[in-house]
Amino acid sequence: VVDVLERVTNLLALLLESRPLTMQQIVDRLEGQYPASEVAARAAFERDKSLLREVGVPIDTEVGVGADAGRTLYSIDRRRYELPDLGLSDDERAALQLAVAASRSNDAQFGLFKLGGAQPGRADVIVELPESDALPTLHGAIAQRSTVSFDYRNRHRALDPYTLLLRESHWYLVGFDHGYGAYRTYRVDRMSSAIDVGEPGGFERHADYDVHTVFPKDIRQLGADERTATVRVDDATVEVPCANADAFRAWLFSLGTRAQVVAPSDVRADVVAWLTAVAR
Amino acid sequence: VTIRRGPRPVNERLRRLLIMLPWLMERGETPVAEVLERFGITERDLVKDLELVAMCGLPPYVDEMVDVFIDEGVVFTGVPRLFTAQPRLTAPEGLALLLSGRSALQLPGADADGALARALDKVHSALRATGLDVGDSESVVIDSAAPDFLAEVTSAARTKTVLSIDYRRAAADDVTERVVVPQTVFADQGHWYLVADDRRSGAERTFRVDRIERCEPTGDIGEPRDVMLPTDRGWFAGRGLPTVTIDLDASVAWVVERFPTEQIVDRGNGAVRAVLPVASVEWLETLLLRLGAAAHVVEPEEWRSAGTRAARRLLELYE
Repeated sequence: VVDVLERVTNLLALLLESRPLTMQQIVDRLEGQYPASEVAARAAFERDKSLLREVGVPIDTEVGVGADAGRTLYSIDRRRYELPDLGLSDDERAALQLAVAASRSNDAQFGLFKLGGAQPGRADVIVELPESDALPTLHGAIAQRSTVSFDYRNRHRALDPYTLLLRESHWYLVGFDHGYGAYRTYRVDRMSSAIDVGEPGGFERHADYDVHTVFPKDIRQLGADERTATVRVDDATVEVPCANADAFRAWLFSLGTRAQVVAPSDVRADVVAWLTAVAR
Repeated sequence: VTIRRGPRPVNERLRRLLIMLPWLMERGETPVAEVLERFGITERDLVKDLELVAMCGLPPYVDEMVDVFIDEGVVFTGVPRLFTAQPRLTAPEGLALLLSGRSALQLPGADADGALARALDKVHSALRATGLDVGDSESVVIDSAAPDFLAEVTSAARTKTVLSIDYRRAAADDVTERVVVPQTVFADQGHWYLVADDRRSGAERTFRVDRIERCEPTGDIGEPRDVMLPTDRGWFAGRGLPTVTIDLDASVAWVVERFPTEQIVDRGNGAVRAVLPVASVEWLETLLLRLGAAAHVVEPEEWRSAGTRAARRLLELYE
């Protein structure tokens, strides 16, 4: 039995070096490496192709003419297989290496190897990037403006994807939801089906879109010109935006008994009313 | 890159081989130890894959395709014909590189026009040239809130500058002064942590950076040391923590999107019952205060009144 790695390496070499070939011609050239039965050989060939594509090898197909009329021909364009020189300087490569050390991303590490970087050593700062098979798909859909659809908490959703957002170690997809007719945010690791990607150019972004309005982070993003409350924290007095009542309470309560609203009186009264309702 | 135990999947072997071969060929002679260190593989795996690729070839010229052999701890390659260049970046690799770089650019002290930014521009152009559309600045956003002393502890971790800090302990709600040797700074679940050696006890401690209330360099430089961080995600969440079962009205069902959950049951009309790991009672109280009347603890019994108790404590401030 031929090791799959050996057969795939031979297949890659063959397609890089020869004119476009039909599957039968490939099986003949790699004599004895594919199973004898045509059905089994076809299945093995399909697996080999997807393996090559998975590691980034572009396999071109065309329909043959003349003696090969009607048959699919396979080839690999060496110029598209090979990575062109990016012209990275040593300090640029080193900076990229530090960034990859911080993210601890396996995919980024392989990319870095290709760019001439090494396996990084100890990292002093680590900002781990959560990895997900869905990310490249969603990123591609955002870039080419394709509507995506997926299952999420037992419902099927169709969304015009605008932004992938990393927050608190989770990836979120933000976009315009067709079913709701409004912006919605979905956690990528909770999508429970394969993601269907529609035609490129399937939508236009709304001009009023701003990711941090759709998915506000905390009080720091609520705008400085809106109203503020005076809050005593320990022995200091601070002015805090309070237009978004929920975000304001979240911040206030996270400080526990260290923080107390001083003014204005209506904000103070709202907080007391809220606490009274919970205390009941 | 992790070193796997047991049989390695063929896609990983192929992926690494196509990257390793051009690098070996360019050099001609490479010490085995250097290959192992660079690519993070075992000698057994390296020998196995190189022996196999040396067998490759197209009939009738079998085993003449890749001229590679190992002798006396050195990998030799002959005149190269194939696999002389690195394969192009795949979409996941390109995206992960860009994201790693952009996330590093947000760290304190990063130079927005420096070497990293220039490197990312070049990666960006290369991806576009290979037909991978990488989108614009709105396509991917990395949110990170920097606590007060993040820049100081990050720079100290790089230089191993000994720090004197005031640290607020959450459980005891008191502030203690410590002298520490910073080793590593990391972010997890929205918080930044400093792993440092406590000078007095000599033991490794993990500090939440937003609980550091004063931070000054002492002028000493400490010893760098390898810190073992868990390879699992969610270093402080998850396994072994007690759980709470909460009924959430539709208006606050977003909770299950924002926090780790162990179970979610739909109760109709958008309302859910969720089981959440509880890192500390303090965290649960803050959550219940924030959710107000739209959330109810189902179990355990002792936490049914956690929100009520916390609210009463705060109300005393306003009396």
